[in-house]
Amino acid sequence: MDNTAATQRPEAGDHASPASGPWPITLDDVTVRYPNGVVAMKNVSLEIGAGEMVAVVGLSGSGKSTMIRTINGLVTPTAGTVTVGPHRISRLKGAALRRARGDIGMIFQSFNLADRTSVYRNAMVGRFSHTPTWRTLLGLTTAEDRDIVMRALDSVGMLEKVWHRAGALSGGQKQRVAIARALAQQPAVMLADEPVASLDPPTAHSVMADLADINADRGLTVLVNLHLMDLARQYTTRMIGLRAGEVVYDGPAASATDADFEQIYGRPVQQRDRLGQQ
Amino acid sequence: MTAADAVAGERSQLTIPPRPRTWPRAAAIVAALAAFTILTTIPAIGGVELDFASIARNWTNGADRIVQMLTPDWSILPRTWQPLLETLEMALVDAAISAVLAVPLSLWAARPTNPNGVARRAVRFVLNVVRAVPDLVYATVLVAMVGVGTLPGIITLVLFDIGIVVKLVSEAIDSADAHYMEAGRAAGGTQTQINRVTALPQSWPAIASQVLYSLELNVRISAILGLVGAGGIGRLIDEMRGFYRYDALGTIVLEILVVVIAIEVASNLLRKRLR
Ligand SMILES: Nc1ncnc2c1ncn2[C@@H]1O[C@H](COP(=O)(O)OP(=O)(O)OP(=O)(O)O)[C@@H](O)[C@H]1O
Ligand SMILES: [Mg+2]
Repeated sequence: MDNTAATQRPEAGDHASPASGPWPITLDDVTVRYPNGVVAMKNVSLEIGAGEMVAVVGLSGSGKSTMIRTINGLVTPTAGTVTVGPHRISRLKGAALRRARGDIGMIFQSFNLADRTSVYRNAMVGRFSHTPTWRTLLGLTTAEDRDIVMRALDSVGMLEKVWHRAGALSGGQKQRVAIARALAQQPAVMLADEPVASLDPPTAHSVMADLADINADRGLTVLVNLHLMDLARQYTTRMIGLRAGEVVYDGPAASATDADFEQIYGRPVQQRDRLGQQ
Repeated sequence: MTAADAVAGERSQLTIPPRPRTWPRAAAIVAALAAFTILTTIPAIGGVELDFASIARNWTNGADRIVQMLTPDWSILPRTWQPLLETLEMALVDAAISAVLAVPLSLWAARPTNPNGVARRAVRFVLNVVRAVPDLVYATVLVAMVGVGTLPGIITLVLFDIGIVVKLVSEAIDSADAHYMEAGRAAGGTQTQINRVTALPQSWPAIASQVLYSLELNVRISAILGLVGAGGIGRLIDEMRGFYRYDALGTIVLEILVVVIAIEVASNLLRKRLR
């Protein structure tokens, strides 16, 4: 896989080759107001450089999920623009938006696997944007797609489970399959929405380590929502603090002090803000 | 203060919120339903006429027939094999055809698998119409169109099955958690791709379960469809009824019972394996 040429950026929609090199993410004055009137993001402007590993921290309801969803267009901003590499996400629709999403991997707190089908088919979901609908409908896969999927599963140590039912896996294994699904997209950017919140501490650490590897080895831009301060400090380099839909902190993660967290949380740091162990 | 202390401290001064009184509401609902039921049986205000006295007057007429049915005439058995087999074949063919047709229709009729409200409502509306027409009406019209035989029966049952299977399966899809769809969407998939690779395998148990149920219904309904010449065991039932051969009818009813129970046992086994 060619992920080294950071300067060479393909045209949006060029799928002859996988997205090469990481992409920057830019939010410009983004506001999200949900139909029920809740303003989940207020005039947020951010620059995330290509290849950065960024944590987004904040209390429940602070707008972390909303922010990460604006980046792949699962949520459309009411105002402002979102740009990922060559894609002006907030302006895209239909096929163009699907193509852009294909270049942006995403993993979720609840894994979002189809439990009744195989690990293989779940990982094949990552090839959707590179496959014509009629081929998917007929169940046709190319040798190249199979190879990409198998390699992605292998890279997270899940190749031996490839023919198992996704529902029969443990939480940590499910999240690894979900990471493989995202990697099968050969994305330039990886988004993770509370990827370890449903996992026990040792598994949480190993999944965070997988994400850090993806950032270091493949050079992907990684944006990960976390609500535990020690995970943010240990695995990411930059931390963005959200409170009530506004950026209240933006700085290095490793040196963020408890006082910084108290400012983000708007309350004293508590035991449950840390995962502990390792 | 440890957590245990906190619990002990709270135990002495628990203030339990007052439990909401729900029984007056329940009683009112029951009373309203009872009043409505009674009102519907008063002919003076347009209710149905329930003449219980006529049951007593005509009791013996019906009783004779029931007694005859309870003494089945087994000599009819050899004549039943062929139509019974025909009924079973119809039931199976119908279940198979309707399963194939119901899969895409169910996905179109459910919200998670078809976010397009217009298309979804159109499919649901057509299916409501299909369900609203009684099966005997389909059979009568189709017999007139394509002639007496199994074909009108098969088409009738397919329409009937699709109506039921699509409704029940699409409701099952509507009420199931569909987090996996979000992953497909985030990966840039089209709704069709997401449905094919993830929603379809997730919905198999619901589809299989309802198709098996329709198989059982098919056997029972085809007993009625024979009355209008749409093939199967119903033809024989109609003939025996015409000759007042209630003892022979008893045999046929028993046979249908055995078949329905056999199908139920088989489908329960299958359902368990699917889970
Ligand atoms: N689809 C929606 N419709 C309406 N309001 C929503 C929707 N999604 C989120 N919200 C509201 O927007 C605000 C931000 O929610 P969001 O899910 O982004 O927070 P979060 O930081 O991810 O929280 P958590 O840690 O609990 O996941 C909350 O007040 C929430 O109730
Ligand atoms: Mg969230």
